[in-house]
Amino acid sequence: MSAKYSMIENGAETNKIKKFFQKDFSQFIVFAIPMIFIGIFLLYPMAITLIRAFWAPAEYTFKFTGWSLEGFRTFFGTKLYLKALGNSIIVSLSVTLLCILIGVPMGYCVARVKIPGKKLLVSLGILPIIMPSFVGAYTWVILLGNKGIVRTALNFILSPFGITLPSIYGMFGMILCMTLTYYPFVFQMAYGAFSGANALLEESAMLMGAGKARIMRTITLPLIIPSLGAAALLVFVRAIGNFGIPAVIGGNNYVLPTLIKFAYGGAGDINLASSIAVINVVITGLVLYVQKYIVNRHEYETISATHTEIKQHTGVGARIFAIILCLIVLIFSLLPQLTIIVMSFFKRWTGLLPTDFTWSNYANIFKKSGHELFNSFFLSIVATLMCAIFGSILAYITERKKPKGAALLDLSIMAPFILPGTVVSIALLSAFGGNGFMKLTGTYAILIISYMIRRTPYVYRSVAANLTQLNPSLEEASTISGATWFYTFRRVSVPLIMPSIIAGSVMTLTTLLQELSTTILLYGPKTRTVPIQIFNAVNENDLGRASALSTVLLVVVFIIIYTMNTRKGTDLSSSMKM
Amino acid sequence: MSKTVRYEHVNKIFGLGTKNEVHALKDISFTIEEGELFCLLGPSGCGKTTLLRNTAGLDTITSGKMYYGDVDISTIPPYKRNIGMVFQSYALYPHMSIFENVAYGLRVRKTPNDIVTKKVTEVMELVGLQEELKRNPSPTALSGGQQQRVAIARALVYDPDVLLLDEPLANLDAKLRRYMRAEIRRIQKATNITTIFVTHDQEEAMAVGDRLAVLRKGVVEQIGTSDELYNHPKNAFVANFIGKMNFFNAKVVASGEKETIAEIEASGIRVAIKADKRHVEPKMGDTVLIGGRPEYLAVSAEPSEKSIPGTVRIIQHLGSFIRYEVQINSDISPVTLEIDMDSLQPGIHEGDSVFVTFDGSRVALFSPEGREL
Repeated sequence: MSAKYSMIENGAETNKIKKFFQKDFSQFIVFAIPMIFIGIFLLYPMAITLIRAFWAPAEYTFKFTGWSLEGFRTFFGTKLYLKALGNSIIVSLSVTLLCILIGVPMGYCVARVKIPGKKLLVSLGILPIIMPSFVGAYTWVILLGNKGIVRTALNFILSPFGITLPSIYGMFGMILCMTLTYYPFVFQMAYGAFSGANALLEESAMLMGAGKARIMRTITLPLIIPSLGAAALLVFVRAIGNFGIPAVIGGNNYVLPTLIKFAYGGAGDINLASSIAVINVVITGLVLYVQKYIVNRHEYETISATHTEIKQHTGVGARIFAIILCLIVLIFSLLPQLTIIVMSFFKRWTGLLPTDFTWSNYANIFKKSGHELFNSFFLSIVATLMCAIFGSILAYITERKKPKGAALLDLSIMAPFILPGTVVSIALLSAFGGNGFMKLTGTYAILIISYMIRRTPYVYRSVAANLTQLNPSLEEASTISGATWFYTFRRVSVPLIMPSIIAGSVMTLTTLLQELSTTILLYGPKTRTVPIQIFNAVNENDLGRASALSTVLLVVVFIIIYTMNTRKGTDLSSSMKM
Repeated sequence: MSKTVRYEHVNKIFGLGTKNEVHALKDISFTIEEGELFCLLGPSGCGKTTLLRNTAGLDTITSGKMYYGDVDISTIPPYKRNIGMVFQSYALYPHMSIFENVAYGLRVRKTPNDIVTKKVTEVMELVGLQEELKRNPSPTALSGGQQQRVAIARALVYDPDVLLLDEPLANLDAKLRRYMRAEIRRIQKATNITTIFVTHDQEEAMAVGDRLAVLRKGVVEQIGTSDELYNHPKNAFVANFIGKMNFFNAKVVASGEKETIAEIEASGIRVAIKADKRHVEPKMGDTVLIGGRPEYLAVSAEPSEKSIPGTVRIIQHLGSFIRYEVQINSDISPVTLEIDMDSLQPGIHEGDSVFVTFDGSRVALFSPEGREL
């Protein structure tokens, strides 16, 4: 009797095992790999950094130095460090405010005023964020330096008012450069929000008798607060994390990222650097919280609407104002790029105009920068491909599968997006720098990993945004027709989200080609990239060489962007949203 | 104050002078009376929404004049016209509560707070949302039908001279749509504001409107009450747009002052049509259309004098009547007839051969031109 029983049980058991193996496991395997990657190369390093922040000072060692609050005591007890903290906050907040003041009116003008060449304006208006920002910084030294051509011109215009421009080295220069670099985030979002707004909402207000100013105040502006909040946050985290601009023209005004580099590179104290990184993260976290609080109070479900075209202002005054505003902003923000191209053909530019025309800057690239060019392209392309694969799979998981803890997964993927590059580098160094279970310093691997960690959010966000708009029934139809999960993913999902994968990848590739803030702490003699070489050339005051290398980057980046813009359905801005 | 709305030779041409010139409204002239609920009806692209947007001032007409009462408003900007409008998608403000949505027009008019509260309460009672107003949620928290009521309240609260409704029921489900069209009529009659109601649904227009205008390709085909349009359509288009009309191709064999005799091509049957049922000037040998409503036709299993043979394609049970779709094999082209009868004919099934008869005294004569949409 009992034998019979156990046989039945055995049969049930084998059946269970059989069923287990008959299940479609492809999706779990596909999902597991990027999640493990995030665990090892993001969460683990971040945890180590947090721990190291409470270790005693270290001199060129990664070994355990004992628990201590010395790092924080040094930070809050040293004038230089506190001033850097103050500088960081002042610079980031001013840049955010100025970007809103420039970007919103400009976005409105391009979206709502009848002016020629709108597409061109939008394309030109995205260039500053795609171009290497620290490269722009030293061109302002040329243009706004003591004898610079723009300083001379502006001082001439401003002299009747008794104003003279402050020195380009220091706070003024940092705020100016970052504003001109980051205003496109606000401009692009404002443009999108103003042109995509539901025209009927404004028309109905007009029918009820509201004038233009009232419609603007009560309807148009309140409705763009959510996108504006997102753009402002983006500008803030970029500004507080920017390493290149303060390093080039900050002078002795340290900010947090340059301070981290100083603590690690100068004093060799990874634990102090970790403490500063933690402080930096806390500030960014606080700003994120405040932003979410403000935006959440203004977040609305949009009631879907039939699309009617938005009326444009056609008044002569409005049109002239719009054109002048756009031209001034574009000229100022694109002046650095022009200066670089001119400078690359000269030896010196110390006075009003450059002197000593030469081809040697370009000739030298082939002699001295071959390896760096290879490194830049190799690292960027490999990292971009990995980002594209991981980013789209992760977006698919959080958006379609909605597993338990999807919000947490989303948060950990997006975290590096708001973390300064130097913080990510310090985290990777803390985890894989010395006595850890993997030593990766100075390898290609650590750079590719850091790039992936920092840039996966681009593809992730772009694809997630695309997926929310994609009706799940398209995928369900495929499943019902008998397709396996992987077949559906390959034949239905991926082709549909391809435009957003491409948009995200283009953002990734172009920003990686000019990556400085992460690379500066992680590169070794064999893994030096073009931006590092430019940075060193600027520091050695070899501007001709720096400009020629920058021009090469500019051209490559421009070709990539241009090629993408000629394709339909790819929208860069969706990869910048949070 | 309710006002008349008058159009005089109104033309609207989009993209004037370009390759893509579209003549959307062609010489429109008619008058809507004070306090009238007037429907603009037509297939999509007929120009009804264009006419409404121009009436509101959201677009400007290319030529002609428009009057509210005696005032020429052709060039007056929309915010000075004192009109209320309800959009198909309602266009409620998602960032305001329903109270503030409704109060918007009053706030614009700098109305004191106590009067705003009073008027909003009154109008919300009129549209039946007094309970919702107490909770005062965001409009996104309301159902489609409630959003619709808020939109109507918002357009009515400041006593506009004219109320414009742009396909206001299109986003509601069928049952709610029938209920809301009665509600709209009730509210309109209660306020007595001159109202223009745009729709593509003829049943809705007939149920709601005091009078209807049927538009096609920017031209007003006919204006009248539901009854006039249904029983005395001026042409084949109106006949087939307001309800269903079956058409037979026919040839005029004799025509006099009192009646016209035409021969139906498919069967050779001759039909005499009285003068008042002629909507065309028939001449000997002309090709014409003989039109009959589905309820004027009948099917039977047995042939009779003046019956046309055909095949039953589909039998639909539609509650109060049965609809037969019968295919007639004409020499020229096959014609599918819709025939409505009170009860099921015993012994007739889908696929059977049948004979179609019709009431010769009730069919009408139309010109074959302009039958299509």
